[in-house]
Amino acid sequence: MQLDRRYVQYFEWPFAAAILGMVLVGILTIYSANVFAASAFRKTLFLKQLTWLGLGTAAMFAACLINPRTLGRYANVIFGLTVLLLLAVFILGKTGLGAQRWLRIGPMTIQPSEFSKLALVLFLARYFDDHREELHNPKIMLLPTGVTLGLALLVLKQPDLGTALLLVFIAITIMLLLGLHWRYLVPVVAGGGVLTPLLWTFLKDYQRRRILVYLNPDMDPLGASYHIAQSKIAVGSGGLLGKGWLAATQSQLSFLPLNHTDFIFAVLAEQWGFMGCLVILVAYFYLITKGYQIAQDSTDLFVSLVAAGIASMLAIQILINMAMVLGMLPVVGIPLPLLSYGGSSLLVTMLSLGLLLNIRMRRFLY
Amino acid sequence: MKLTPLPSPPSQALAVRIRTAVLLVAAACLVLLLRLWYLQILEGDRYLVLSTNNRLRVRPVEAPRGFILDRHGEILVENRPTFDLFVIPEEVTNGPEVAGTLAEVLDAAPGEILARLAEGRERPYQPLLLRKDISEATMVAVEERRFDLPGVSLRVRPIRAYPSGGVAANLLGYVSEVNQAQLVREEYRDFRPGESLGQAGIERRYDGFIRGVDGGEQVEVDARGRVLRLVTRTDPHSGSNVHLTIDKRLQDAAEAAFAGKKGAVVAMNPTTGELLVLVSRPSYDPNLFAQRLSGDEWQRIASDAGHPLQNRAFQAQYPPGSIFKLIVAIAGLENGALTPATKFYDPGYFLLGNSRFDNWKKGGHGTLDLHGAIVNSCNVYFYQAGLKVGIDDIVKTARAFGLGEVPGLGLGDEVKGNLPDPQPRRRGQPGWAAGNTVVASIGQGPVVTSPMQLLTMVAAIANGGNIYKPWVLRKITTTSGEVLEQYEPELVRKVAVNPETLAFVRRAMLGVVEGGTGARARVPGIPIGGKTGTAQVVKKGETKGQADLKDHAWFVSFAPVDNPKLAIVVLVENGGFGGQVAAPIAKAIYQAAFASQTPVAVAATSSSSAKQDEEIAD
Repeated sequence: MQLDRRYVQYFEWPFAAAILGMVLVGILTIYSANVFAASAFRKTLFLKQLTWLGLGTAAMFAACLINPRTLGRYANVIFGLTVLLLLAVFILGKTGLGAQRWLRIGPMTIQPSEFSKLALVLFLARYFDDHREELHNPKIMLLPTGVTLGLALLVLKQPDLGTALLLVFIAITIMLLLGLHWRYLVPVVAGGGVLTPLLWTFLKDYQRRRILVYLNPDMDPLGASYHIAQSKIAVGSGGLLGKGWLAATQSQLSFLPLNHTDFIFAVLAEQWGFMGCLVILVAYFYLITKGYQIAQDSTDLFVSLVAAGIASMLAIQILINMAMVLGMLPVVGIPLPLLSYGGSSLLVTMLSLGLLLNIRMRRFLY
Repeated sequence: MKLTPLPSPPSQALAVRIRTAVLLVAAACLVLLLRLWYLQILEGDRYLVLSTNNRLRVRPVEAPRGFILDRHGEILVENRPTFDLFVIPEEVTNGPEVAGTLAEVLDAAPGEILARLAEGRERPYQPLLLRKDISEATMVAVEERRFDLPGVSLRVRPIRAYPSGGVAANLLGYVSEVNQAQLVREEYRDFRPGESLGQAGIERRYDGFIRGVDGGEQVEVDARGRVLRLVTRTDPHSGSNVHLTIDKRLQDAAEAAFAGKKGAVVAMNPTTGELLVLVSRPSYDPNLFAQRLSGDEWQRIASDAGHPLQNRAFQAQYPPGSIFKLIVAIAGLENGALTPATKFYDPGYFLLGNSRFDNWKKGGHGTLDLHGAIVNSCNVYFYQAGLKVGIDDIVKTARAFGLGEVPGLGLGDEVKGNLPDPQPRRRGQPGWAAGNTVVASIGQGPVVTSPMQLLTMVAAIANGGNIYKPWVLRKITTTSGEVLEQYEPELVRKVAVNPETLAFVRRAMLGVVEGGTGARARVPGIPIGGKTGTAQVVKKGETKGQADLKDHAWFVSFAPVDNPKLAIVVLVENGGFGGQVAAPIAKAIYQAAFASQTPVAVAATSSSSAKQDEEIAD
């Protein structure tokens, strides 16, 4: 690739800086959340996350080197490979916490379900770009609906309920952005809402518990209500300015399980208070809106959909995770992008944001 | 750089909808911000109080582990209540004074208690375990002095109880606290220090089922740690019951017959692969692990020269000795090298070039056919038969019958034994010679097997060539009796072997017990097929006669011969002759198993079957 001076000129440095800053805040929080942990494994988690940050940064800049149109050409191949990886998990998967989500590659374990989110965005963008003349025809939505549900089922089988739900939400968002009328969603939501409780009543108590634990192995044995109560105390006790780093008794003294993964925002809220949360929220809002702006600025449908899809993916994860931590939604395992501990999640988020940077940098092209 | 022509711009509508999306995100962020405002600013003080002054405490309520039962529902492992003494360091107002009182009550040094309290200062809100499983007298003493002991509490907890002590201990395994080495590993990241888990055998393999789901009590306590009120309580879910295929009655009979010996006894239903008996000795008392096991006691068990933690049934391997002659006979009948009428002469030794191979019987057996050679376990016959059959077919047959491969019980660290790998002579390597075949034909040299492997082998001979995977778990049920998992026999393969070959071998094995080397296993009224084995222990540079150089005694068997219901393998380490030492143990189990069919009076006279004392050896 011939290096165009405009690439450097158009590179969105504040965007990249915001990303790196967020991850570093996350690592500090992971450190503080586990500093009193009994398990030596937990104490060194932040070091692992630092390694992943290195990989993620490399991935972010590497994502800038690919021409987005090339990416579009290979979108289906990437999607196919991701499905193969998901299938490989069943055969070669490393079981953790009763769930078979991880694949071991050398010293690392990766979670292919995380990669499926980006792969789905690329696949849908390519598909709708290919059919851009027929978008007025609702039938065009059938194939992507089927593919999304298939992928979500595969991820659900891992089992990873949180990511499976995310995939469905991402696809729905992209379709809505393309002009699918919300009326089409009514029967889907209504059908699901009626059928699920109906089936549920037929099950025996221990079967329900097994299903719940199966779908959501991270589910706390003490029950979700306990989890949320503890989380609210952690957040609330942070007050305006927080208790300070390493001084958050509620979230650090093992009152709050999963404090370094799905509930990391509670740790942050306790340590840095309302002001800290405000900064985090503003930073996320900046990243999301920047993503949508990039989508708006592009003149190419594929590129535009990729950017909008990534921005939506981020937005959905952030909003659901925070609402869960603040006790406004039931507990499903969805990590907070950039902040939560988890290598694959970080890698995919940084790769996705790298693509946004990439598109931004070439805005004189698309 | 060439620019691709710009495609048509995306519809204006997309841009409009993206703006809507941005607005929605902004609205959602605002809702989150309002919620944060509510929690942190409006309710912040209340939550701060909850998190500091009036704390919510979580007290895990340990779920009782499920029971382990035998095939008839007899309890093999259960739980009993114990009392543990805890202290919350933060609540100990006057350290030295409390330590003094505690030391008095517990009969310990005050320094030790103070040191423990100091350790706990790192996590002052966490209850610190001072003593596990305290005696009733200590419990009463603590209760009496309750007011001198702020922060000290007693908690009842179920612990594992093994009513029969060391019976089947190596199979059942034991439960103990998660140790430091485990806590640093990823698989154990969600274990609390002090939490118990199955560490060996069934307790470990099926820990996920046996372990229940711990419950918890969330209580609000005041600044001095007194419980103000119970906020929520989640009941623990008791673990599932594990039903084994083991038959406790037979297991007890086997344990009794094996008393004082070293080695293993395994028995299975040859038509299904269900294990009915699994004895491994020396063993340990799993109750010791469930209670507090001191470092010294652990060291004593772990470093015992007898390796009590090893399950000899499938984690140890020995030369099969004369048991292997069955494989040579089957291989020969199948490849045509031998027929039932094949005769060899035994003068008491066999000469191969300059090498002399002796029979165990001085003077030899004279001329024998194949039946007679198996019944009398004639070494010289099988030296010559082995050479005629050829090592390649012998090894092939052994593999077909499951030797040299892991039986697949799934309880961890199963050994796969070893079979000869006959390689032609190469430069620098001696290669496989005829003399090696001679030695291998009587199950010595490179041939080693585990008792479990010989059990699948003899079961296959008994049932017509079906190799079943040995299994020990019948079903898993909830405490209310609902079946969660149910297990079925698993046929690994059917050995391609002529039914007449196996029928001949079974008849010969019947002869072994009726009037051959295995006569001491004879139970009148029950046709038992067996084969004795005496495996030489080879150790270089040591003199014969030492206890650990005595031969290993084997006896493999099944009964009734025509309708097999039970197959048994007995191995006595350094026991001596298989027919003398191992066969009577199998007999005791057969008597227990078929007791209802055999009148007691008849069984009592059977001891006269030791008529050929001199002959019982091989």
